[in-house]
Parts: sequence; structure tokens; C-alpha cells
Amino acid sequence: MSPEALVADRVRKTYRVRGGAPVDALSGVSLRVGKGERVALLGRNGAGKTTFLKIASTLLAPTSGTVSVFGHEVQAEADIVRSSIAVVPQEGKPFFHLTPREQVYTYLRARGFDRASAKTRTGEALAQMELEEVADRLNITLSGGQRQRTMVATVIATEAPLLFLDEPTIGMDPFARRGVWESMRRLTRRGSTILLTTHYLDEAEALSHRLYIIERGRVLVDGSAEGLKKEVGGTLRVSIRGGQDLAETFSSFGSLVRDPEALHIITTPERLVEIMGVAVGMRLTATVGPVTLEEAFLKVVGRSIDAEN
Amino acid sequence: MTLSTTRPRAFRGLLAFAETELRVQLHEEAAILTSMVVQVVLLIFVSILAPSLLGVALVGAIVFSFFALGQRVLNEAAFIRVDHRLNELYLASPLAPESYFFGLSLGVMVAYLAPILLVALAAELVVHFTLVSAVTIVLSVVAVWLFSCSIGYIVSTLFRDMRAIWPWASLLYNLFGVLPPVFYPITSAPVAIRWISLFLPPSAATALINETITPANLTGLQIFLAAASLAVEAALVFLFAIYWARRSVREE
Ligand SMILES: Nc1ncnc2c1ncn2[C@@H]1O[C@H](COP(=O)(O)OP(=O)(O)OP(=O)(O)O)[C@@H](O)[C@H]1O
Ligand SMILES: [Mg+2]
Repeated sequence: MSPEALVADRVRKTYRVRGGAPVDALSGVSLRVGKGERVALLGRNGAGKTTFLKIASTLLAPTSGTVSVFGHEVQAEADIVRSSIAVVPQEGKPFFHLTPREQVYTYLRARGFDRASAKTRTGEALAQMELEEVADRLNITLSGGQRQRTMVATVIATEAPLLFLDEPTIGMDPFARRGVWESMRRLTRRGSTILLTTHYLDEAEALSHRLYIIERGRVLVDGSAEGLKKEVGGTLRVSIRGGQDLAETFSSFGSLVRDPEALHIITTPERLVEIMGVAVGMRLTATVGPVTLEEAFLKVVGRSIDAEN
Repeated sequence: MTLSTTRPRAFRGLLAFAETELRVQLHEEAAILTSMVVQVVLLIFVSILAPSLLGVALVGAIVFSFFALGQRVLNEAAFIRVDHRLNELYLASPLAPESYFFGLSLGVMVAYLAPILLVALAAELVVHFTLVSAVTIVLSVVAVWLFSCSIGYIVSTLFRDMRAIWPWASLLYNLFGVLPPVFYPITSAPVAIRWISLFLPPSAATALINETITPANLTGLQIFLAAASLAVEAALVFLFAIYWARRSVREE
């Protein structure tokens, strides 16, 4: 018997709002996370990512549907599920009046680790998050990113079988983010499973084996970052600065993504010379790069928004 | 990685979480030092206005101090939930939910114990407690404390906003801790209030303690009512807080 780390089946959540209309945060989300996988939940603000993580981590009751963690249903067997999970909450902060070392150490003790192993793990986690320099200062004196690193250190030190991380790298510098990615990889190598949310699509791409895009409480797409990028219809992106109004000129070369700064043409290497020719002829500034997950995300979610309207 | 399929035992992680909270509180020396302000001010008033009642007021100060710990629990539990979201970190973990509630209460109590013991020492110098009084004091303050931190924790879970909590916390603890006969003898209260006081834990506790110091203020029935209501209310509210701690982990 080898149950998956997490199986969600048609999870719905309607928040009741006092004196207001109810909010449908999740409208039937089904997903699976295999043991040892790193899976990212992506989606716009308010898509329902945090709501899903809270339900899966036993902190919020679904309106209907079920989630099970290692074969145990999160509602009926919450106690059992809780012994195998750890959570970095969105916008969580460490105790202001503890030091990072005390925060990590006491958290491990509260989870049942003995003094010696709590101490060793604390040292390792602080080192991984590069917090040694500030490890003995009160958290209240730390910068925002250092506090966030303390939260992540606290949770990765547990090496819990299933970790939920809600925007774990928010506010971190690029070095610190890469430190978190490395820790995540190490955790899954050692057998943990990770479900995280992020708005940094380079992070989702670098880190996750698979990802789900949630939009208005539904799973819009699931698959790998590579697979998703293929959906946009090309491997290269030509960005025309200030070319937002030139959609007609370029629409025959590939699919288009617009943002406030530029028009992006997603295309194939064979058509590159032609496009650059047109751009140069019109005295436009064009840059070329590989298609990123960000474009795929904008494309897929944008298509869904258009269809909805 | 093996996963135990038995339910974790009750109060798992209690002492470790109490230690966490104790460390947090001990970093806030100013709050501990100022925790005695109301008590000391009232004691000064009494020693000026009615020096003969200083013993009663000192007993009241001890009881009130334990009662006021509930307000600290309320504020701390609300703060780390609303502002820090640390409840999510600790409750989605093997730590038992009742250990989160009671460990927090224990940590706060131990952190604030030193100044209370100083007041108790002052009371001993003025009153010279008998063994019966001393035992009554210990049992009564434990009941008052259990009652108060349980109420504090339960109330803390009902709010989403820190600012909304402050006025209610202050109202709750001043109304039940300062207004009834805690710092003054129950015999000085109007008759109707006297009966109500026997059912409020802080004033029931002080009435019982004072009865062991200067007997014959209360009838046998009143002693029974005060003792029974204190014990039953403390036990019921504490048990409800444990139930509530487990139940409120998962929001609806
Ligand atoms: N307690 C609540 N009461 C009512 N509505 C809520 C509550 N919490 C969340 N919502 C609503 O549910 C929807 C999903 O919210 P959720 O926090 O899950 O989004 P999210 O995907 O995590 O967004 P973000 O990227 O901004 O963190 C939103 O419309 C939000 O306004
Ligand atoms: Mg969120």
C-alpha cells in the first residue's frame, strides 16, 4: 500500500460573509501530489490557493469534497494528518520576542523532537537559510526578508513528510530565494513532499516537478512547466517595446501577449528573421528571448479571463 | 518515512510550548514589571483611606493578579493568531491543540509569577496566614487562574481584529476583577451584590480566603456556594476551553 501524499477530490469552499454575499473561493478542485514531488499552485490573487492549502492542512473546513493526506482524510483524521505536515502560512511572522535560533529550536521541541536532535536540526536549518549572523538577535530586530527566512527555516527543520508553503519566498532577495529552492530539493531527495504557492514564475519553473494553475477556484491547467510553455505555441519570444497597438502587423507570426510595456510575439526560430526584418523596417526596438512560464501563465489565464467576459 | 496511525496523546508538547511562551514573555520585562500597577495603586489607596483593610486588599491583589493573567492570555493568543498567524504554524503540527492553549497559559503564568509572589510575601507579613489560609489561597488562585485563562483563550478566538479586542478585554477583566468585592470585604458590598459575588470566581475566591482569616462573615450556605461555584465554574470553563481549543483549530 503506497497512498499518494495528497489527493483532493472536488473540493469546494464557500465563505459565508457576515452581511454580504457568500464568496465561492473553490468550485471543485481535484488534484494529486505524489510522494516526493514538488508541486506548485499558481494563480492570480484571490484564485483560491491559500484557501486550498488551509483546507489541506486541516485549518479550514471545506464546504464539500475531500482531501486526504497519505491516505488519511483531513477532516475525520485531522490528528493523524497533523503529525505528518508542516505549514509556512501566508504572511506568517515568527515570534517577535524570540531569536531565530529560539524560534526554530522551540518549534521543533513543541513538535516532539528531543533536545539533542532539535539543536542539531536548528543549526542546520539556520545555516541553510543563511541566518547564522542574526540567529541570536530578537526577530523584531530583523528585516522583513530575514523574518521570512526564519519562518521557512522553522518549517524545513521539521523535515515533515508533507510541507505546505504559502508564498515562502515572498520578500526574499534572489540569493535567499535560491537558498530556499536548494532546501526544497534537499527535502524531497530525503523523502518529503512539497506543495507550495508562489507568484514568482521563475521559481515555479526552477523548483516544481508539476504545477497547477488555479483560476477563480478551478484548476485551469496542470502539467509541467515545459508542457505548459509548449501550449503557448512557440519557444521564442520577440518583445516589441511600445508595440501594443501593432497586433495586426505581427499577428501572422505567432501568438501575441500584450503587457503595458510591450507586445510579445511567441514564435519559432524559423520565423525570427522575418519578424526582425519587419521590426527594423518600422524602426522598432525588438528583443529576443526564450519563452518563459510567465508568458505561458499570462496566455493561459488571459484566455480564461477573456472567455469568462 | 513511517506514519503513525494512532491518535496522538492528549496534551502532547505541552511543556515545550509552555517553554516557548515563557521565553517570549521573559523578553518583555517591561510588561512583567508593569503588571502590578493596578494592584499597587489600589493598595496605596487602601492604606491611606482604610489602613485596617490592608490585609484584605493584599489578598485581593493576589487573587486579582491571577485573574488578570487571563487578559494577558487573551491578548497574546489573539496577537500571535491575528498578527503573526503563528496559530497556523503550531496547530497544523503534532502539537496538541489543548497544549497550544494551556501551554500558552502556563508560560504566561510562570513569567508573571515573580511579582505576584512578592505581593504574597507582603500579604504574609501583614496577615500571618495559617496553614488553612495558605492552602485555601493556593486552591482558590489555581481555580481563578484556570477560569480566567480559559475565558481569555476562548474569547481570543472570536476576533479577527486586534483593535476590536482591546476594549473588550479591558472591560471583561476590570468588570469582573476590580468591581466586585475583591479588594474590599464582601460585607461592604450591598446585599444583592454579595450573593452575585459568590458566583464570580475572583470575589468567591477572596470571600473564601478572607473567611479563613476573619471567620463569621459568611454563613455556611454562602461558604458552600462560593466554594462550589468556584470549583465547578473553573472545571467547566477549563474543560470547555480544551474542547474549544480542539474544535477551533479548523475554521468554518
Ligand atoms: N475569510 C474569508 N471570508 C470571505 N472571503 C474570503 C476569506 N478568505 C478568502 N476569501 C476570498 O476567497 C477567495 C480566495 O482567497 P485566497 O486567499 O484563497 O486566494 P489566493 O489564491 O491565496 O490569493 P493571493 O495570491 O492573493 O494570496 C478570494 O476571493 C478571497 O477574497
Ligand atoms: Mg494566498
